[in-house]
Amino acid sequence: MDRRFKARLEAQFGDRLSGPVRQRHDQTEIRIRPGDVVPVMTELHDNPIFRFEFLADLAGVDTGEVMQAVYHLWSDTTPDWLRVIADGLSRDDPRVPSVTFLWPGAEWMEREAYDMFGMIFEGNRDLRRIYMPPEYTSFPLRKDFTLADDAARSPGGGFRHMEQTHVPANTPSTVRRLPGSRQLPSVK
Amino acid sequence: MTTAQRPSADDPRILLDQEAGVFEPVPPYPPRTEREAEFYTLGDGQLFLNMGPQHPSTHGVLRVVLKIDGENVVDLDPVLGYLHRGVEKLAENADYHQVISQVDPLEYVSSLFNEWGAVLSFEKLLDVEVPRRAEYIRVLSAELNRIASHALFMGWMALDLGGLTPILWSFIERDEIVEMLASLTGQRMLFNYFRIGGVNGDLNHDFMSRLGNWMSRASEQIEANQGLLNENEIFVRRMRGLGPIDTKTALRMCFTGPNLRATGVPFDIRRAHPYSVYPELDFDIPTRVEGDCLARYLLRVDEVKQSLRIIDQCLHQMPDGPVIAKLPRLLRPRPGRAYSAVESPRGQYATYVVSDGTDQPFRMRIHDPSYIHLQSVGLLMQGNLIADTMAIMASLDPIMGGVDK
Repeated sequence: MDRRFKARLEAQFGDRLSGPVRQRHDQTEIRIRPGDVVPVMTELHDNPIFRFEFLADLAGVDTGEVMQAVYHLWSDTTPDWLRVIADGLSRDDPRVPSVTFLWPGAEWMEREAYDMFGMIFEGNRDLRRIYMPPEYTSFPLRKDFTLADDAARSPGGGFRHMEQTHVPANTPSTVRRLPGSRQLPSVK
Repeated sequence: MTTAQRPSADDPRILLDQEAGVFEPVPPYPPRTEREAEFYTLGDGQLFLNMGPQHPSTHGVLRVVLKIDGENVVDLDPVLGYLHRGVEKLAENADYHQVISQVDPLEYVSSLFNEWGAVLSFEKLLDVEVPRRAEYIRVLSAELNRIASHALFMGWMALDLGGLTPILWSFIERDEIVEMLASLTGQRMLFNYFRIGGVNGDLNHDFMSRLGNWMSRASEQIEANQGLLNENEIFVRRMRGLGPIDTKTALRMCFTGPNLRATGVPFDIRRAHPYSVYPELDFDIPTRVEGDCLARYLLRVDEVKQSLRIIDQCLHQMPDGPVIAKLPRLLRPRPGRAYSAVESPRGQYATYVVSDGTDQPFRMRIHDPSYIHLQSVGLLMQGNLIADTMAIMASLDPIMGGVDK
């Protein structure tokens, strides 16, 4: 854990952070709003006190309540991994700016997050499915994606259940939560 | 409740209309993105060439659509997903111990690194202290696996350029290591050897005698095998200056591992963000500045020598003690997140786990170096000949099992 790095992050991004800076083992975590992704990432990349020139990973996470875009960065200015979480993307229309202007190599990572979660990265010029076939209509890693063995209990059971990405909005609430169906889990 | 009818790939009526085994390079629907529209618009004198999915040089099941102008490749569009198994989804429905065998078949020539990435992040999540002997056994077996993987790379590299002999030699070399690891782990390819908090089983007599036997002649054997290619004028002249990439572009394309080090950046996770007992071991990080296919090839040759040094030190410094920490059968880490990266033979293999307090990972993200490197093939290819596609692709060393997850 690099305490001075935490202080530097707080001094630089004080008002932009949407939660406290957390540290555990060799990781430092900051949370920002999706709208701040471009200024914060540019600052981290260009500012000589940070120099995060290496994008280690880009992942999508569905917490059950919101979507998150999670970036991991590496720099020689700190021994920690920096985890930047763009928090609070809406599950109905998850949108976040693309980081391909800094790292063109993020293009396929964003395509994968789009393929698996339906997250729209604004500014990515090749946002199409990468693993699933183009005709596929659902997003397999979302928490409301129903697996085949749960299908009989799902609201859309019996009719192309694998392609039901959302419970339709006009479904009565009694049908939405059938007894024994999987409840949506959630993490912070 | 009604749902609109859509044509679907698993609809039998659609499959009947298609001719089996024919891949049209141009997709039958209008372009969905800016880049797709640009790629699937032909210029004057250009045409599309479909390569794959069953092509001997694609190292798995990969389809590449080439846009060619005469003999030159103008652009290319890789089509993935033929090997997609949804390992990330499988991991969300398996408990923490079961995940280790799920990630094994990702990069199937270096399975120990896949397991290592997973167990390292779980150990961070659970605050587990790994016994030192287990750490040394992990380093020892993983470096052996790295040599096996690089040996295979050298053979495939030559095979993709049309040389048949080196692949036979490298399989002899790899087979010795694989048999050795089989006597340690019980498996030849998908080892399932690492456990959360240690390894499954201590070093045994069979393994140690095979290892000692091999170590006594490994350097000369590897040297002899490499002489077949390093001193081959056709090979060297074909590879030199082919598919170069500079440092800045490589960093922007998120390159890691040997492909990044071939451009002059001494970035190695074992030193840049140390894990396990690597800080206690003495080894160099070879770099080259050319950034072309030959540099990427020669860099791996140098890495094999460093791995031999590490194995030698492991054998001398191996402490006594237990090989696995005492842990309950059912693991319920407290809610949190953990990220860990290991230096696999291809680059940074990373795992990001989110726990919600149950015995299954809430989300497990696997970052695979092959996937990242494959997207730059188009960048490296532009202006080269069709026959060089295989050479450039092979020099990046992608494994489709890892690319398609």
